[in-house]
Amino acid sequence: MVLNHDSSKPIYVQIAEWLETEILNDQISTDEKIYSQYQLADLFNINPATAAKGLNILVNNGVLYKKRGLGMFVKERAKEQILLRRKNENLMNMVRDLVQEADYLKVDDEELMKMIQQIRLERRGES
Amino acid sequence: MSIVSCQHLDKKYKKQYALKDLTIELEENRIIGLIGRNGAGKTTLLKTLAGQIVPTGGEVKVFGENPFNNLKLSANTIYVDDQMQFSLEMRIHEILVAAEMFYENWNRELADRLIYYFGVDRYDFHDQLSKGMASTFNAILGLASRCPLTIFDEPTTGMDYSVRQDFYRALLKDYIAHPRTIIVSSHLLNELESILEEIVLIKNGKCILHESIEDFKEYAIGLSGDKNVIQSIVDHDVIIHEKELSESQVYIAVDNHLSEKDITGLKQQGVQMTSVEAADLSMFLTNDTRGGIDDVFKSS
Repeated sequence: MVLNHDSSKPIYVQIAEWLETEILNDQISTDEKIYSQYQLADLFNINPATAAKGLNILVNNGVLYKKRGLGMFVKERAKEQILLRRKNENLMNMVRDLVQEADYLKVDDEELMKMIQQIRLERRGES
Repeated sequence: MSIVSCQHLDKKYKKQYALKDLTIELEENRIIGLIGRNGAGKTTLLKTLAGQIVPTGGEVKVFGENPFNNLKLSANTIYVDDQMQFSLEMRIHEILVAAEMFYENWNRELADRLIYYFGVDRYDFHDQLSKGMASTFNAILGLASRCPLTIFDEPTTGMDYSVRQDFYRALLKDYIAHPRTIIVSSHLLNELESILEEIVLIKNGKCILHESIEDFKEYAIGLSGDKNVIQSIVDHDVIIHEKELSESQVYIAVDNHLSEKDITGLKQQGVQMTSVEAADLSMFLTNDTRGGIDDVFKSS
């Protein structure tokens, strides 16, 4: 993955999300050791402190746990944690923005729902 | 532990202050970016830390000691810029041997590999190198010395884009393997920001901001939209930068301390919010005026 330095998303958040994706895709499984801050710094060409901040997000979200002197490991049920939080936080925020724009453009609920259904249909057609 | 400590530092040249009441503390084993406009005092500050300049007032401590005329400091510090002078009699490979004798942590393998990779001719004299090659060589010297305090003052002068990228990557990789305090000054923040842990902004000889790079990136927020809407909500004092987009539209950068209520209000009235890039923010904060070059061409 290449980091998007122009994105409004801070680099450490992008690191946390990349790690989450690795866990969701079973690249790293439960109780397995995750990349160290130094490995991440080298991999993404960023300061180790920035990488550590990304890792700490995942510790605080209950996705990773620390073993003193050994590093950080993937917690049990980490995938469920990730999915739950992404739904409750990221997706809800996106929906909030969506509804706000819809209000601004005076699009009512029915029309908005239709638009969402339309996109879903298109996606099914593609896959 | 704090490795650099400056208290109310002044440096006066004739009647002009290069540093004025500058106070700063730097912790060890970090990569710190020193950013400021030309003439802000970057070089004066860095040379003071390297013991090459005696301040006019205030106090400076490096490794807990006065850096001027200090052997401990010169053995543990390297100051790299594009004016480094070497003996005219010595070829590149001889300079490397001399550096190895002087710097305790010198790594010959790293120096040799970098010299080979960047294509520096070992049999050239330093003053025969092109501007970019000389900067590259000086930067290699700075990296291979592995000094506990490594100072790069505008190290990339004359380097082309790809060499600059390689240099910053080499700096990061060697720092990961051998943590030390590295101060890099530049007026170009965007090529540098991802490897920094902290940023220090200086303006008119003063330190105006010292933050972690993450906090710095979230320090400000950009608003663009209707001038009247923005002016009615945003307090004039928090405006960092202002640019007219058209008769009625304006872009402003403000302190990121807007309340939830203000943010919702702005969004509802169609004001776009964007993050402010670190490079832009550093420019806004170190500029003397709030406006920009456009104002010069404005017909009054």
